[in-house]
Amino acid sequence: MNNNQPIAAEARPWRDSNAKPFVRIRNVTKKFGDVTAVDNVSLDIFKSELFCLLGGSGSGKSTLLRMLAGFEDMTSGSIEIDGQDMAGVPPYARPVNMMFQSYALFPHMNVAANIAYGLKRQGMARDEINGRVADLLKLVKLDNYGARKPHQLSGGQRQRVALARSLARRPKLLLLDEPLGALDKKLREETQFELVNIQETLGVTFIVVTHDQEEAMSLATRVGVMDEGYIAQIGEPREIYEYPNSRFVAGFIGSVNMFEGRVIEDEQDHIRIRSAEAGCDIYVGHGVACAPDQTLWFALRPEKIRLHRNKPEGDANFTKGLVEDIVYLGDMSTYRVTLESGKHIQITKPNIEREALDEIHWDETIYLSWGDTGGVVLTS
Amino acid sequence: MNGNTAAAQRPWGFIAGLLSRAGFSGRTLLIAAPTLWLLIFFLIPFLVVAKIALSEITIASPPYLPIVEWTADGHMIVTLNFGNFQFLLDDPLYISAYLSSIKIAAFSTLISLLIAYPMAYFIARSGERYRNILLMLVILPFWSSFLLRVYAWIGFLKSNGVINNFLMSTGIISDPIPMLQTDFAVYVGIVYTYLPFMILPLYTNLVKLDEALLEAAADLGARPMTTFFTVTLPLSLPGIIAGSMLVFIPAIGEFVIPALLGGPNTLMIGRVLWDEFFSNRDWPVASAVAIAMLVAVVLPIMFMRNVEANIAGDK
Repeated sequence: MNNNQPIAAEARPWRDSNAKPFVRIRNVTKKFGDVTAVDNVSLDIFKSELFCLLGGSGSGKSTLLRMLAGFEDMTSGSIEIDGQDMAGVPPYARPVNMMFQSYALFPHMNVAANIAYGLKRQGMARDEINGRVADLLKLVKLDNYGARKPHQLSGGQRQRVALARSLARRPKLLLLDEPLGALDKKLREETQFELVNIQETLGVTFIVVTHDQEEAMSLATRVGVMDEGYIAQIGEPREIYEYPNSRFVAGFIGSVNMFEGRVIEDEQDHIRIRSAEAGCDIYVGHGVACAPDQTLWFALRPEKIRLHRNKPEGDANFTKGLVEDIVYLGDMSTYRVTLESGKHIQITKPNIEREALDEIHWDETIYLSWGDTGGVVLTS
Repeated sequence: MNGNTAAAQRPWGFIAGLLSRAGFSGRTLLIAAPTLWLLIFFLIPFLVVAKIALSEITIASPPYLPIVEWTADGHMIVTLNFGNFQFLLDDPLYISAYLSSIKIAAFSTLISLLIAYPMAYFIARSGERYRNILLMLVILPFWSSFLLRVYAWIGFLKSNGVINNFLMSTGIISDPIPMLQTDFAVYVGIVYTYLPFMILPLYTNLVKLDEALLEAAADLGARPMTTFFTVTLPLSLPGIIAGSMLVFIPAIGEFVIPALLGGPNTLMIGRVLWDEFFSNRDWPVASAVAIAMLVAVVLPIMFMRNVEANIAGDK
């Protein structure tokens, strides 16, 4: 993950409280009749960021994007792009371009005419348009496809034409609605990197809407997780994954094992949770803002659990279960273990060896353990 | 095969069985049915008309001479009379009737298009609940007799009709405007009658228009007008062509509307045909007019089909 390398502070303007946001979304609400699609969302996005809005269908992410593009009016709130208030500004007058989920390529125009469409509307000279179109075709690696019609292209090529067309006017802000949604897995992975490359080369601010958490994790500088119209959490991909702020976010990003429990020890430097579901005490090696006896949840990622045949030492952070199922995925294996409380747990383990001689098998009773800081305590 | 046994179990199965044994598959039959229909009800009558067009007029019943005669010694004498077609070219009445028909049909088509397009667009863009109601309103006039509706226009257009009375009572005009028995009345009648034929194909085309394309155009800086001329209009061309053909072709041969609403100066080929056939009882010339009209109608269809094929080929 790119976050492993130390990044200079200026590359993460969201960590600087004085930085001026490029897109400022303030208390934006959108209602369709009785349904609130976007609920009081406030969000700052900075220049050259690749921001991902992640959420399930009906979470309001596309509506928010469409309000940025100007296709939907806000019920209340304000949107500012590059210091300019967007209230009442029609889509054709915004310094924004959008790449549509369906690509929305004009079927009666060839690739070059599609890309040139926005430039013609600016009244750019013909020579200049041709030059710009040629550059863009090169950028998306479709040099010789200018004369083709959209229906003569593959899905991946259409996607690149749509990208070239949305970049043609050199927008300050590019909105991408499920840009990789229609591509197959392999093409998607390739295109992901291309997209990041292009974004870094041009320095355009990208806002990407996606329902695919893997896509969000690999693309984004920051992710905003949306649920039922509000933003559940905003953070860098690592933050979202390792420090989710709610059960919803923890469950939405990746897989997670959730244990309900009760605080029995609340100290400055640790807490202890008694969980019937886990069948053991959970010792958390840092302080948590909670009250004694409070019910809370402990979220533990599958890869943070270790499996043992012998009982680990200590009085917490391990439990016993029966291996129900093992799914071999090549790079790793997933174990489904049923605890004595009846709870099903998922554990993933990388397959380090090619031959697994002393591997754990089905129907074996084993111990599961995790570190003091392996999981996240969630109060909501 | 499974299908055959299943077919044999149905009551009509034995017919299907017989036919398939004779070498007729379901597919052949399906194609044969309309072919047979067209053969009996279009091609054969057409050949009869063509035959009459090439024969000589006579005062008898039927009022033309046969083109094939057998002599006593077994010779066949075929007399083809191209004079009828020659006559069409010689007499300026027919040429100007053709040109006038084409002109009236073309203008009516254009006017229908200009009226129908906004209507079709509006219906296609209105909520799904209202679409069917609006379409119903478009089709509703068909439920009453065509003749009745054209007659109703007489009541509107005549000198002491609804429109003139209204205009005079409000003091806008002092004398009635002559509208009935003019070309204007013919245009009104044709446009009114054939408007649904223009609206329906346009609607079917426009309702399929992907709204994302309009948004994409707006997103790329096109104002609504530009979007219309660069995206909506070119993409609706197949609908425009279909609707135009559905209006133009029947309008060219229209008889009833010019007869009821048109004046003595309204020259249309349908009326000429009628006069030739019923007043002059000159069946050969009438048939020649009919055939010439067919050619005049088929040519624009072929042209339009070419255009459509080009559009389809581009897609």
